[in-house]
Amino acid sequence: MDAHIRKVYVPMTETGFHILLCLQTPRHGYGVREKVEALTGGALRLSPGTLYGTLSKMERDGLIRFVREEETRKLYVITDLGREVLQLEMDRIRRLYHTVKEVLSWEPAAAE
Amino acid sequence: MGTRRCRVALFTVAQWEEEAAWLRRQHQKGWRFTHLTAGIFYHFEACPPEDVVYQLDYQDRGAGEDYFQLFQDCGWEYVARFTQYYYFRKPAARMAPGEEGIFCDRASRLDMIRRVFLGRVFPLIPLLAGVFLPQMVLSAPKDWVVTGLFALVLAAYLVVFLQFARQYVRLLRQPGD
Repeated sequence: MDAHIRKVYVPMTETGFHILLCLQTPRHGYGVREKVEALTGGALRLSPGTLYGTLSKMERDGLIRFVREEETRKLYVITDLGREVLQLEMDRIRRLYHTVKEVLSWEPAAAE
Repeated sequence: MGTRRCRVALFTVAQWEEEAAWLRRQHQKGWRFTHLTAGIFYHFEACPPEDVVYQLDYQDRGAGEDYFQLFQDCGWEYVARFTQYYYFRKPAARMAPGEEGIFCDRASRLDMIRRVFLGRVFPLIPLLAGVFLPQMVLSAPKDWVVTGLFALVLAAYLVVFLQFARQYVRLLRQPGD
């Protein structure tokens, strides 16, 4: 992996992480926003300026690729590089979780 | 087609947030923004007073149909364009709790600052440093009017630089995402 990619995407912003996560299947910007809102129970609502900018950047950096256009909406999907980056972030989150659990004997509240 | 009016307002390239707030206040008074000419003439038409949030975006790579569609999908009405600035608005009543505007994290706000700075201010540095500044120094003993004019332009750009710096620092101080 490019040193540049690593520097920019590790660690990832919460927005970037959720966008990349939701592009396992091809979606357009608004589809990503709806999926993220559903996944997080409304806690994360992505705004268009952020969405457009992040998608453009990720496409330029090769983390996602353009699939096709549906009417006036562009659909994107994650690439192998994107999957690599996502895996790094998931490893980081797992490490954080286990570290906190060990130091504070912390258990997350049961999900509702 | 209702009553129209025009107001002159001066917002530097670093003051798009102030500009958006001003447009919101006008709409609250019953004037909705239609378009901008020559960078300082703001055109409005009469409308029922409403609390509408305005937002500016800067796109230097051109904006395709998908750009406008995404904003529309998210409830933002496209108002106007001026060079690489795009104006959007959304009634405050339709904003979700916690929704502030078209950006929802610090990274994309910082990116906006970077885009505007690189697109509008940075390209002028060689001109200012390489032409204006030496010219100002050279014309000093002979022609005070020319010196004064150059100094004025340089001072104006210094103000814009400082505005950018202040915005950048203020954003960096905010918590992350």
